[in-house]
Amino acid sequence: MSKPEPQSSRSEPPAYTPTHALTSENPKSKIQNRKSLTYRTRLLLAFMLVVSAVTAGGLVLAERNLAAAFSRELERTFAAELGAQRRVQELRQAALAERCRALVRKPRIHAALEDGALDLLYPSAVDELRDIMAPTDSAAPGGLRAEFYRFLDRHGAVIAPPASFAAGALAPVETRQLGLPRAPDSPQLGFIVRAASGAPVSEIITTPIVSGESGEVIAALVLGFKPFSTAAPDPGRSLWLGGRLYFGDHSRAGDIARALSAPPTPGVGASLALDGVPHLLFQQPLNPGSLYPPAAEVNVYPLTAFLDRQRLLRWRILGAGGLLLLGGFAFSRILVNRLSRPVEKLAVDSAAHLAGRVRAEAALESTHEELQRAARFSADASHQLKTPVTVLRAGLEELLAHDRLVPAERESLAALVHQTYRLSGVIEDLLLLSRLDAGRLRLDLVPVDLAALIAASVDDLSALPDASGLTVETDLPSTLVISAERRFAALILQNLLENARKYNRPAGRLRLAVRTTADGVELTVGNTGRAIPAAAQARIFERFHRGAVGENVPGYGLGLNLARELARLHGGDLRLVRSADDWTEFAVTFRPA
Amino acid sequence: MNSPPGRATAPRRTPLPFLLLLLLLPLAASAAGITGRVALPAARTAPVMNQRYEIVSRAGVLATNPPLAVVYLEGDFPAPAAPATVSLPQKDFAFVPALLAIRVGTRVEFPNLDDTFHNIFSYSPAKRFDLGRYRPDEKPVPVQTFDTPGLVTLRCDIHEHMRGLVLVLPTPHFVLTAADGRYRLTGLPPGRYTLKVWLDSRTTLSRPVDLAADSALSVDFP
Repeated sequence: MSKPEPQSSRSEPPAYTPTHALTSENPKSKIQNRKSLTYRTRLLLAFMLVVSAVTAGGLVLAERNLAAAFSRELERTFAAELGAQRRVQELRQAALAERCRALVRKPRIHAALEDGALDLLYPSAVDELRDIMAPTDSAAPGGLRAEFYRFLDRHGAVIAPPASFAAGALAPVETRQLGLPRAPDSPQLGFIVRAASGAPVSEIITTPIVSGESGEVIAALVLGFKPFSTAAPDPGRSLWLGGRLYFGDHSRAGDIARALSAPPTPGVGASLALDGVPHLLFQQPLNPGSLYPPAAEVNVYPLTAFLDRQRLLRWRILGAGGLLLLGGFAFSRILVNRLSRPVEKLAVDSAAHLAGRVRAEAALESTHEELQRAARFSADASHQLKTPVTVLRAGLEELLAHDRLVPAERESLAALVHQTYRLSGVIEDLLLLSRLDAGRLRLDLVPVDLAALIAASVDDLSALPDASGLTVETDLPSTLVISAERRFAALILQNLLENARKYNRPAGRLRLAVRTTADGVELTVGNTGRAIPAAAQARIFERFHRGAVGENVPGYGLGLNLARELARLHGGDLRLVRSADDWTEFAVTFRPA
Repeated sequence: MNSPPGRATAPRRTPLPFLLLLLLLPLAASAAGITGRVALPAARTAPVMNQRYEIVSRAGVLATNPPLAVVYLEGDFPAPAAPATVSLPQKDFAFVPALLAIRVGTRVEFPNLDDTFHNIFSYSPAKRFDLGRYRPDEKPVPVQTFDTPGLVTLRCDIHEHMRGLVLVLPTPHFVLTAADGRYRLTGLPPGRYTLKVWLDSRTTLSRPVDLAADSALSVDFP
């Protein structure tokens, strides 16, 4: 493709360079390509947008479902865990409480308390508690083994055991934690902090001793145990007591203790980030409603496994979403190609149609403008000429009226006046032609008697001075009515007769014949004289053509042209029938009325 | 005032013959006697059919149910020649009788008349002992000598509900009231004494009496 072509075809109407526009397919197809590509791209974009939106929506939903499912699973797991722990704890508490209830019914203990034998209290208890105060190295399950025991009197104060008595060693600070405001009415569960080495916390169960005689609480038995099984230490499991954590992983105790509520409440607590790993805390109050300070079991679960699984699942979902997206895009591409093909074809066809129409319109516009320009020029010129010719003639006629003119001068002046008349005729004809060309001539068609019109024209002709030698033959019906405007019909006839007279030879012949044909009424005008050369015959109807006659023949080459234009305007025609062998014949047709 | 009265009341189920016997023996020595009536508290529940006495506690106070009282004469009496021996069997998981009054120095046997083990012990300051477990047919029958006056609570280590009371008195002159509170003390030497009534573990009433020879006083409590 050459460089100027796309510019010209794009910036100018194709009609101005019709050959270029028709021959250069490339710019046009490029335009169409651009348009169709835009359409296709837009369709594809829309499809991708829809696919993306659907995929994103699905991903969001899946993500939400995933989060909810994990949350539910977490809760279920921990609820089960909590429930299991609570059941274990309850079973243990029940077993311990039952042991304690059995112990406080022992007659010796009652006897020691009720019969004023406090000195025998601890010695009696030794026997009664022998099986529960097992040696520490016993292989029996440790949970139900007591570490120590003490009695509280009815005021809740600890009854001191006899010195060096095997009731389990307790430091004074530990002993103080056993005391209560009064001996409790019901068993109390508590936890004390151990000062000595070993387990940092002991669990205590304080069981009231009710007098069999008075029914009053006369004392209480405090039994100390190891808090839940410490045989297999779980770093995530610890015991909260008084704002501190015991057992478990000591390095994180501070962080965990801060995250816990001060009075322990059951259930899942806050998530907690320990060493950058999220953990879930949940706590279980161990002695709700007890007279002893509240304690809770605290479990810290690392959510690493949970989060890993969640992350894996999330990646899978994302991967599936990506595949879905790609598949959707591919499908969109195929669908778009298929959908856009007919549309593109339509666009190409329509573009071609449009280009053709633009070209034709432009050509039409141009022709019309040229015609208008030519017609306007003729009209303007005629109008501009008419006035000076009239002034000229008036001046010449005024000169002619002078008495002092010699005959030679008068003759010259008369010739000049005659020439002005010819000039006026030419101007009139030009004006008429220009109106014809401009399409501004309106015919006022009426029935016209052609025979009468011919007769009148022949009369006028015979009146001319140089027509005296001519023989005029007529072959006319009596009446023949045509549809025409009288003055134009007369003008056509006059021009034809004028020509026949002008180009006749001296003492020649002129023949007029009218006959009715299938097309209408045909008038033939024939005259003798030199024939029109064959080469010139085709051009005799052109404007300002005067054949090859000598300059002595008057005329200006407008008559035949005007006559033909007028005849055609009337729905007829003017043509040369023949011109040879001393005979030239024209035929003009009219529409019958 | 000698040991025969204690000996004669081994079953102690019928106090009246024992009292009569007690009444008859010292007649020759011109002994005095006291009769009267102790106002006993109302029985807590309707008396059961077999009239078994049991030890009950009300607000930490031990008493028998139905209520019984022990009336005794406190004074300076010569020690007995030989210690008396009484029997306090366990039968049907109860001490029979539930309340036993003895003179200081009396040996008490604890035969087991049930089909199971008993383990009688006492943490009371007046007498601490522990008989250990023993079977019904175990010989010799476990025995304890009560040397200190006071109230001794008997318990069984195996059967926590079992409760018995032994009232160790420093006098040979004592008697349990009848269910209606009437009592009769006979064979009393003349002299000035204090007549006491043990109502429960916390209540002991007392009244001075002046006994003339062959006199018969009538003292009601309260």
